[in-house]
Amino acid sequence: MGRDKARRLSGSRHFRQRVVLATLTSTAITIDDIRSGGAAPGLRPHEVSLLHLLHKISDHHSLDLNETGKDARFLPRAYLWTKLRYKPGVIVGGRDLEHDCGVHRGIGYFLEPLILLGLFARAPISIRLKGITNDTKDPSVDTFRMVTLHMLKQFGVPLEGLELKIESRGAPPLGGGEVFLRVPNIKSTLKAANWADEGMVKRIRGVSFSTRVSPQIENRIIYAARGIFNRFIPDVHIFTDHRSGSAGGRSAGYGVSVVAETTTGCLLSADATVSYPNVDEMNEESENLELTSPEDLGVQVASMLLEEVAQGGVVDSAHQGLLFILCALSPPDVSKVRVGQLTPYAIETLRNIRDFLDVKFIIKPDPNSNTVTLKCVGAGVKNLARKTS
Amino acid sequence: MAPADGGGEQPHKAHRQHKSGAKARKKKGKGKGGGGDNDGGERKNPKAFAFQSAAKAKRLQARSAEIEQRRLHVPIMDRSIGEPPPFVVVVQGPPQVGKSLLIKCLVKHYTKQNLSEVRGPITVVSGKSRRVQFLECPNDINGMIDAAKIADLALLLIDGSYGFEMDTFEFLNIMQVHGFPKVMGVLTHLDKFKDVKKLRKTKQRLKHRFWAEIKEGAKLFYLSGLIHGKYTKREVHNLARFISVIKPIPLSWRMAHPYLLVDRFEDVTPPESVRLNRKCDRKITLYGYLRGCNMKRGTKVHITGAGDFSLSGVTSLADPCPLPSAAKKRGLRDKEKLFYAPMSGLGDLLYDTDAVYININPHLVQFSKTGENDASKKQGKGQDVGVTLVKTLQNPRYSLNEKLDQSFINLFGRKPAAQSEDISGNQNDQGDANILEEADGNNICNANTLESNDHSYSECSSDSEHDNDEATQQNDHEVGLREEVEFCNGRMRRKAVSANFKDDDDDEGAEEDDVDSENSGDDQLSEGSADDSEESLDSDDETENNSKWKESLLARTLSRRSANLMQLVYGQASKKLDEGNDSSAEESSDEEFFVPKGQKKQAKNESTSFDDMDAEDYSKFFKTELRDWSDEDLIKSIRDRFVTGNWSKAALRGQEINENDVDDEEVDGDFEDLETGEEVDNDTKKSKREETNGGGYFDKLKEEIEIRKQMNISELNDLDEDTRVEIEGFRTGSYIRLEVHGVPFELVEYFDPCHPILVGGIGLGEENTGYMQASLKRHRWHRKVLKTKDPIIVSIGWRRFQTTPVYAIEDRNGRHRMLKYTPEHMHCFAMFWGPLAPPKSGVLAVQHLSNSQVPFRITATGFVQEFNNTARIMKKIKLTGVPCKIFKKTALVKGMFTSDLEVARFEGAAIRTVSGIRGQVKKAAKIEPGDMARRKGESIDGIARCTFEDRILMSDIVFMRAWVNVEVPTYCNLVTTALQPQDETWQGMRTTAELRRAHNIPIPHNTDSVYKPIERKVRKFNPIEIPAKLQHLLPFKSKPKDTPKHRKTPVENRVPVLMQPSEKKTHAAIQQLRLLKHEKARKKKLQDEKKKKAYEAEKAKSELLTKKRQREERRVRYREEDKQKKRARR
Repeated sequence: MGRDKARRLSGSRHFRQRVVLATLTSTAITIDDIRSGGAAPGLRPHEVSLLHLLHKISDHHSLDLNETGKDARFLPRAYLWTKLRYKPGVIVGGRDLEHDCGVHRGIGYFLEPLILLGLFARAPISIRLKGITNDTKDPSVDTFRMVTLHMLKQFGVPLEGLELKIESRGAPPLGGGEVFLRVPNIKSTLKAANWADEGMVKRIRGVSFSTRVSPQIENRIIYAARGIFNRFIPDVHIFTDHRSGSAGGRSAGYGVSVVAETTTGCLLSADATVSYPNVDEMNEESENLELTSPEDLGVQVASMLLEEVAQGGVVDSAHQGLLFILCALSPPDVSKVRVGQLTPYAIETLRNIRDFLDVKFIIKPDPNSNTVTLKCVGAGVKNLARKTS
Repeated sequence: MAPADGGGEQPHKAHRQHKSGAKARKKKGKGKGGGGDNDGGERKNPKAFAFQSAAKAKRLQARSAEIEQRRLHVPIMDRSIGEPPPFVVVVQGPPQVGKSLLIKCLVKHYTKQNLSEVRGPITVVSGKSRRVQFLECPNDINGMIDAAKIADLALLLIDGSYGFEMDTFEFLNIMQVHGFPKVMGVLTHLDKFKDVKKLRKTKQRLKHRFWAEIKEGAKLFYLSGLIHGKYTKREVHNLARFISVIKPIPLSWRMAHPYLLVDRFEDVTPPESVRLNRKCDRKITLYGYLRGCNMKRGTKVHITGAGDFSLSGVTSLADPCPLPSAAKKRGLRDKEKLFYAPMSGLGDLLYDTDAVYININPHLVQFSKTGENDASKKQGKGQDVGVTLVKTLQNPRYSLNEKLDQSFINLFGRKPAAQSEDISGNQNDQGDANILEEADGNNICNANTLESNDHSYSECSSDSEHDNDEATQQNDHEVGLREEVEFCNGRMRRKAVSANFKDDDDDEGAEEDDVDSENSGDDQLSEGSADDSEESLDSDDETENNSKWKESLLARTLSRRSANLMQLVYGQASKKLDEGNDSSAEESSDEEFFVPKGQKKQAKNESTSFDDMDAEDYSKFFKTELRDWSDEDLIKSIRDRFVTGNWSKAALRGQEINENDVDDEEVDGDFEDLETGEEVDNDTKKSKREETNGGGYFDKLKEEIEIRKQMNISELNDLDEDTRVEIEGFRTGSYIRLEVHGVPFELVEYFDPCHPILVGGIGLGEENTGYMQASLKRHRWHRKVLKTKDPIIVSIGWRRFQTTPVYAIEDRNGRHRMLKYTPEHMHCFAMFWGPLAPPKSGVLAVQHLSNSQVPFRITATGFVQEFNNTARIMKKIKLTGVPCKIFKKTALVKGMFTSDLEVARFEGAAIRTVSGIRGQVKKAAKIEPGDMARRKGESIDGIARCTFEDRILMSDIVFMRAWVNVEVPTYCNLVTTALQPQDETWQGMRTTAELRRAHNIPIPHNTDSVYKPIERKVRKFNPIEIPAKLQHLLPFKSKPKDTPKHRKTPVENRVPVLMQPSEKKTHAAIQQLRLLKHEKARKKKLQDEKKKKAYEAEKAKSELLTKKRQREERRVRYREEDKQKKRARR
C-alpha cells in the first residue's frame, strides 16, 4: 500500500471548500498556518462550528487541532488552533440533527457545504440549524431556498427531497433564527449538466423580511425596488415576511432577496440585509452608525439584481463556485455551463477543484454577451456511503 | 415461418390424414379449420387463428411480454470514443489441456506466424476493425483471479477425455464475482475416444453440465483432435469466427476504472544505481492498451501483486499493432496481419517515448562481420533497407555523420555517436556471453519475418528450444532467474534512435519561449513561460506537455482572452498570486466596491486579501458597482435580457456565440441560441416525442444516453490533443506507457511474463482503508465452514489482500450478532478492514493460495454492502454470580461484577436464576460491618443487591445476559505475489489451527466445559413434624397416627392358615390343573414357533424364485423395447 500522505495546505482561506472537497474525495488534508501571522491566530468560531457540524454528520473521521504556543490565558481556546489535520470518514447524515451555527456567520455559510455533503451521505439529512438567517456576508436563507435548491435540479437531484423551512428569523448580532433543512442523498452519481442557455428574464420574485421592526418597512423596500424593476418588466412580486415574537429572533433587522427567473429556468438572485453589525466587528464607531434606509435598500437590491442580469450567465455571481463544484462532481460526461464574469471566489474554486478532483475546466469567454462558457469532464464522484439494499 | 414455403424445399412424404375413426370425427366436429391451414389458410380465414378464449389470449400475451421484459437490461452508457482496445481473450484450463497450443494455433490462423512459446499477452489484428489479445491464464489462483478481472472473453479449455476439473469451476466462480465476461467452453483431447458412441455421449454429458453452470445454450466448442501436433485448421478457423463475433459485455467495475493489461515491461533504473545497490527501488515502465475508462495523469494505480503506486509519468505512444486503414475492402491484407507480443520476444518494433527499438533475428541477419554465409542468406531474402544500413555502418569509410546524411532515409535524429556505441556494446555482449545469446535467440528467433521458413532458422529454434527444455529440466533456480532478468533487460536490440531526448526537449522549450515571447503581447504570458522554463528542469514530460499546450493555444486562433482566462485560473502557482492581484486590482480600480456601511472594513479586507492565505471565504461577491439603473442608456443596454425586450436581438446574442465557439460544426441553421449540443438535443427531442408513443421507458433511456454521448464527442472535438488529455485524460484504446518510480526490486527480479500484470486505476476514495461490511456466503463446495477472525484472502476490485473478517448476522431487532462460524447455506455479514471498495463490488475469498491443499479453493463469495464504521458487532455474554445472602425476595449476589462501579453500570439490568426466577439488579450492596467480618479474606467489591420475583435459594446461580462489542481486527495485508518467485506460495498470516499444527500445540481444553454425567443425590426429606399444639387441634383424620414403623412380620408372628382336608384336596387339585394348563400352553407355543419358522423359510425360498423370474421377464421386455426403439430410430 502506498502510504498516502495528507495533502498539505496552508492558510485559512477557502476553508469550507477545502474541507468539503477533502470529504467528498476522501483525501486527508493538513492545513497549517491558520492565521498564524495575524493578531488573532487560529480558527474562527464559525470555522470551528463548521467542523462540529461535520463531526455531526460524518463518521470515522479524525480531526486533530494543534495549538500554537501562545499563552492560553489571554485568548479563548478556539483562537489557538492554527493547525488542522483532517482525515475524512464516511458521511452518515441522519434525521433530526441539530446544530447551533453561532452568531459569527450566517446560516448561509453552513448551508453551502451542507448541501454538497448531504448529497453524498449515507442517509438523507434533516437538520435544524440555529443562528443568523440573514446577514450581509452570506447568502440569505431566502436566496438559498429560492435559488440554490433549484440549481440542483439541473444535476438530476429531484426537488422532492430538498426542503428548507424558515422557522424563525434572526438577524445579526444576536441571531436567534432557525431553519430546517432536508437534503436527499443521491443514488450513485449526479447528472452532468448542459446548462448554457440563459434565456430572458420573464419574472422577478422576491421575499422581504423584517424582524423586530415595523412591518411597514417592508412595504417601503418593495416600493423602492419596484420603482426600478417596473422600467424593465411588469411581472414583479415581492412577498413580505414579517416576523414578530419568538419567530423574529433576538435582533432587529430587515432585508430583501430578489430573484429573476428567465425563460429557460435560470434563477439570478441578489439579496441585502440591514442590521446592526456582527459580534466580530462591533466596536465603538459601530455603536452609533447609521443604517441604510429601507428605500435605499430597495434601490440597492434592485440594482444588484439588474447588475447580475446584465452580467448574464445561468447563475448569479454568488452561486458560481457551487455550480462549478457540482459540475466537477458529475459523472465523466461533458458539463457545460455559462456564467457571467468569474468572481475571485469562483476562480479559487476552480483551482481547488483542480487540486482535489483533478478536473480542469475549459474556460472560453464570449465577447459578444460578455459571458464565460465553462466545460469540464466530471470526476464521476459516486456516493460510496450509501448502502446497497 | 410462412406456411406456404414449407413444402417447397424438401420433398417429404405427404401427411395422410385419417379419413375415419375417432380423430377424423373430432376434426370434423371442429369445422373446416383443419383443411384450411395447409397453405394460405391463415390469409383466407384470419378468424380461424384468433384466440378462442380471452383467458388464453391474456396468458399468452403476458408470457410474451414477460419474455420481452426479461430481455431488457438497464442501458449502460459506453463512454469510450474511438478505436476500442484489443479484445482480451483469456485461455484458461487445467494444466496439460492444450492452452498454449490453442493460442499458437489461433495466432497461426490469424497471422500465419509460428509461435514457439506463449509468454505474456499476444496482440493480433484479427479483422478490419478488431484486434484480439490472447492471454494464457496461469494455473495458480492468483493468476486466475487477475486473468478473470481483465477477460473480455474466457475460453475454458476442458479435457474431454477426462471431464471437468475443479480449475474450470473455480475460474467460473471467480469470473462470476468479478463481473461475468463472455464465456466459451472448448473441449479438447477428443481424439482419445476410440468409440464414437462414447464420444457422443461424453459430449452430450459435458455440454449439459456446462449449460447447468452457465446458462442453457452456452457455447461449447469441440476440437476434435490434433493433426501434426496442431488443431485442425478448419476447427481453429471456426473458433476464430466465434471469437470474432463476440461482443464484450459492459461491466460496471471496469467501466468505471481505467486499467491496462501490461504487455511490455521495462526496468529503466539507471544501471549505475543498480550496480551500487542491487536492491534499490526501481523505476519501471509499463506498456499496454488503456481500457475501461479514460485515465488522467494524477491517477493512482494498483499493480496486482505489488501494491499501490502513484504514476510519475503517463505518455501516449503510437499503437504498435494498429488497425488497418479504413479503406473499403474485404478482409485483411497480409501486411495488415500484424501482431505484437513483446513478452514473447515478438514484434519487430518497440516504441518508446524517446526511442524506437528494432528487433532483428540474429539468425536471419548476422551483423558481426562473419562474411560469407550470411551473404547467401541475404540472397534468399533480398536486401533489406535496415540490414544494409547496419551493414554499412560496420565498415565505416566515412564518418557516421556523413554516412547518415548520405543515406536516403532519415528516420532518426542527429546523434549517431551513441548509437554506434550501443551497437558495439551489444556486439560485445554477444561475443562474450554465449548463454545470453542462447536465451536471446530463444526469445527472438521467432521474430516476425514474413519469409520465415529458413532452414537454419528452424534449426536454431529447435536448438534453442532444446536448450530451454534442458534448462527447465535442470530446474536450476538461479539460471531461470537469470534468464528472466536477461529477458527483460538484456534483450538483443538495437537502439536506432540516438537523439538525445533532453537536448531535443530543450530545443523545443527554447523554441517555445521564443514563440511565447513573440506572441504574447502582455506581460503575464511571457512571465509564465519564463517561469515554466525555469521550473521545467526537473520534469521533462510535464514541460513538454505544458509547452505544447501553450503552443497550440497560441497556434489556435482562439481569442487571446481565452488563453488568458485558462492561465489566469490554472496558471503556475507562482504566478497565481500576481494574477490574482492583477485581477482584483483591475476590478477594484475599474469599479468601486459596494460596501454597506457597517461592512466597510470587512470588504476592504477582502479586496486586499484575495491572494492572502487567510482570506475569509465569502461566496457572495461584493464587487458590484452600483450604477444608477434609472439611467436610460443603462436600461437600454440590458433591455433585451428581458422578455419585454427584443426577442430577435436576444436570439442573436446566442448565435454569435455559436459561431465563436464551435467553428467546425455547422449549425443546422434552424434556430436560436442553442449550442451544438443542444441542437442535437432538440432534434432528438422531436424524435423522442414521436417515439414515446411507440417505445417505452427503455427506449427513452437509450435515447438519452445516445444524446449524451453525442454531446460529449461534439464538445470535446474542437480541442487540441494536449488540452483534451488534460481535460478528459488518455482515451481508452490508446497505447500508453506508465512510468512508476519506487517499485520494489523484487518486482523486476521475479518478473514472469507468464503471469499477467494488471494495472488498475484507483478511484476516488478507494485508496483509503477502513471497515467494510460485505454480504458473504461460504461456497457450497468448500468443505469447511469459516471461522471468525481466521485470516482469509479476499479479492475486491483490483486488489487481493489478506484480512481477518468477523462474521455476523442481523437479529430481528437490528443488532449485528457475531457468529463464530459462517452459517451453512446462508449469506452472512462479514466485517473486515481493508482498502475500501465501492459498494456492490464483488468479494471473492480464498483460504489458501497453494494449488494442492484443498479440492476447491474458492472459499466464499459475496459483495460489499457498505463502508460501515459504526455498526457494532455484538457478542452475547453471560455474567454469573451466586447469592451470598438472601433476604425475603432480595438477595446479595456476588461474583457477577468485579467492582461497585460495574454494578452501577448495570443498575436495572434484568437477571435470572437458572431455575427461572426473574429479577433485577438494584444497587451495589452496602456491606454491614458484621458481614464484612464474616467474609474476611474475600473481596467485598462488586456485590450487588438484586430483587427477584420470588425468593431464591442459596444453591441458585444468578446470571445476566448482556451484549459485548466485538472489535474487528484492523489487519490487512496485500498479497504480494509479484514480489516473490512465482513458484513459491505466498505466505500470509496463518490461522490459529495452522499455527497449532505447526508448533504441535494441543487444542486448549477447558475441563469445566466438558459434559459429565449428572449425578443427582436422592433427596432425603425429614418427616413432617407437627407441633403438639397444632396436633391437638387437628381432626382425627389428619392427626398423625401413632403407627409403628412398618415391618414385615416375622414368620413366627404370622397367623397360620389351617385347611380342612377337603379344602386341601381341592386346593391341590386346582394347583395340579393349573400346572397342566401351563404345560400345555408352553408346548403349544413351542410348536407354533417351529411351524412359523418353517413357513417363513418356505416363503423366502419362493420369493427368491419369483424375483428371479420377474427380473428375467423384465430383462427380456426391456431388451425387446430397446430393440424396437432402435429400429424406430433407424
